[in-house]
Amino acid sequence: MPDDCHEVLRELEVYLDGECPDDLEALVARHLRACSPCTDRAEFERGLRAVIAAKCTDCAPAGLLERVKAQLRVLS
Amino acid sequence: MPSGTVRQELTDEERRDSFTRDALPYLDQLYSAALRYTRNPADAEDLVQEAFAKAYSAFHQFRPGTNLRAWLYRILANTYINTYRKQQRRPDEVSADAYRDGLSDGAGDFSLYDRIAAATQAPAEVEALRRLPDEEVKQALADLPEQFRMAVYLADVEGFTYAEIADIMGTPIGTVMSRLHRGRAALQRALYDYATQRGLLSAAGGPAESHEENPRERRTDA
Repeated sequence: MPDDCHEVLRELEVYLDGECPDDLEALVARHLRACSPCTDRAEFERGLRAVIAAKCTDCAPAGLLERVKAQLRVLS
Repeated sequence: MPSGTVRQELTDEERRDSFTRDALPYLDQLYSAALRYTRNPADAEDLVQEAFAKAYSAFHQFRPGTNLRAWLYRILANTYINTYRKQQRRPDEVSADAYRDGLSDGAGDFSLYDRIAAATQAPAEVEALRRLPDEEVKQALADLPEQFRMAVYLADVEGFTYAEIADIMGTPIGTVMSRLHRGRAALQRALYDYATQRGLLSAAGGPAESHEENPRERRTDA
């Protein structure tokens, strides 16, 4: 694996979090456009987060909204 | 309400209307977070009710135009930490310590991508993981020690920034980054185990090597 791959992969998590400083972000983005192995990995990590997000969401049970509202009336 | 209005000047009814309109739409999201924190639907309901009650009582302190969602999550996290965790499990903190110790030997570097790619000699696809039942992904997250679970949930499911998570959890940003990195690695390891047990990666990793030196607390023993 070339050196700049190592360098980019070290920053990948923070890059995918959208938390890189601008110059570093541009550098990682440029590398990803040119390097398909790193792009595969980035796509996997991005896709995995989307899977986790989609599967770890719940709706409040029926009645909870009404119970919260009733509580607000008491607290007012 | 015009921005800059001092909320103390609102009547009770106006305050209730404003809270109902602006804060209550976050009910599902907060319940979801509460369920990840408490890992138990009854406790999650109680926690959400208590957090909304606290938020309502403190609503005059919220500055209009700032981040209401993050403010609500902070109250939820504080309520959880101050009330529920105290009642429940000291063991979780013990396991968090054991977990950190376990990570010092490099166990925090698990990469699902590398594991799958090494076994298949091809770029890993996320498709197999998508076939995992929701309940198993939730369980994998639930099995993470609390501080890691909260950080990963807030980042990967709720999409909060590092700064917002630091604010919600009351920790420095560096701590958030470290918890995210380690928490994600541990979550990937757990997902690898679940996917392997289901045969979703059987062509890839093979179940044989999936349980080595893993300090993470597990509930399932399948």
